[in-house]
Amino acid sequence: MTAGATRDGGEIEALVTDRYLESLLALGLDEPEPNTLATSIVDRLQPQVRLASARLARDAPRYHPSFRFEERVALRLAEIAASMRVREAAGGEGVVIPIGLHPPETIDPDDLLFAGPLDERPDRVRPLLIGGALTSAALSLAGAAFVAWWRTRPATPMARAVRAVGRGRLA
Amino acid sequence: MARRAIWKAGQPEEAAPRVTHLDRDRALVDAARVDPARFEALYRKYLAQVYSYAYYELGDHHDAEDATERTFVAALTNLQRFEERARPADGDGASTFRVWLFRIARNVVDDRQRARFRRPEEQLDAAASVADGAMDPAAQLAHREDASAAWRAIERLPGDRRRAVILRFVDEMSTSEIAGVLGRSEGAVRVLIHRALRSVARDLEKGSR
Repeated sequence: MTAGATRDGGEIEALVTDRYLESLLALGLDEPEPNTLATSIVDRLQPQVRLASARLARDAPRYHPSFRFEERVALRLAEIAASMRVREAAGGEGVVIPIGLHPPETIDPDDLLFAGPLDERPDRVRPLLIGGALTSAALSLAGAAFVAWWRTRPATPMARAVRAVGRGRLA
Repeated sequence: MARRAIWKAGQPEEAAPRVTHLDRDRALVDAARVDPARFEALYRKYLAQVYSYAYYELGDHHDAEDATERTFVAALTNLQRFEERARPADGDGASTFRVWLFRIARNVVDDRQRARFRRPEEQLDAAASVADGAMDPAAQLAHREDASAAWRAIERLPGDRRRAVILRFVDEMSTSEIAGVLGRSEGAVRVLIHRALRSVARDLEKGSR
C-alpha cells in the first residue's frame, strides 16, 4: 500500500467520523426524529471512535459559571456600554457638524462626512479680522457718516411745515 | 438540518463568496452596535459556552472566570470591527459572531496558558467538582469517575486536537465553525477530531482495564 493510499484512507475515515458527528449534532439539536444518514454511516464507523464519541458526549458536560460571577460581569459590561454611549454622545466616534455656515436647506450631507480639520473644509467661509484698530476705525467712520447723513438729509414737506410752525411760535 | 459552517480559513479574499446576511445572531449584533447596552443578550447567550471552553482549557474556575470576563469585554469594545461572513451555503444556523467570539476566547486562553507556563501554579482537579445534586451518592460517585476519566482523556490530547474536541463535544460546534476558530481548513479539523477520538478511545480503554 502506498503512502498516498494510506493518507486517502485516513481522510475517508475522518470524513466518515465527521458525517457521524454532524448527524449526531443535528439529531440532538434540530431533528428529534431518527436521522437516516446517521444510521447508514454507523456501519462504516470504527467501533472505538463511536464509543469514544459517545463517552465524550455523555461525560464532558458544559459548565455554567456562578450566578454571582454572571451578574458581576453583566454589570461591568453595562458600565462599559454606558461609557461607550457617553463617548459617542461627546463626539468621540461621531462627526463634527458646523453650525451657521449655510442655511440648513443648502447643506450637502456629503460635506458633513468630510473627515479633515474644520479649517480645511472646501466650503468653509470664515470672517477675516485684520486687526482691532482697523475694525474699530471702520466702525467709527461708518458711524460718523451715518450721523452726518441723518442731520443733512432732505426733509419731507410735512417736516418742513412742522419746523416753520415751530419757528413762527417762537418769534 | 445540521448547523453548517461559515468560515473558510485561509481562503483568498478574491475567491470569497459574496457576503449575505444569514448569521443567526445578526439581529442581536445589529442591536448591540446601535446600543452597546443590548450586548447583554449576546453575553447571556454565549456565557456558558465561552466559560466551558476556558474551564476545559485552563482547568481552574478562577482562571476560567477571568478569561471569560476578558473575552466578553474585548468583544463588546471591538464589536464595530466584527464582520459577518455567513454564506447561503451555511444554512440558517450559522453564526459567524460565535466563531469571532471564540477566536477572542482562544487568544485570551492562550495568553493565560503562556503566563501560567512562565509562572507554574498548582492546579485543582477540575473534574472532581463535577456533581449533580439530583443523583444519589453512589451514582454521583460513578458519574464523577466517568467525568474524571473523560476529562483526563481530553487533557492529554495535544493543542489543537484538544481544542477541536472541546469545541465539538462541549460547545457543539460544526466542523466549519471549529475551522474558523482554529484558523484551519475543514479537512484538517476532520482529521484532528478523528485522531483525537482514537486517542481518547485508547485512553479510556486503558483506564477501564
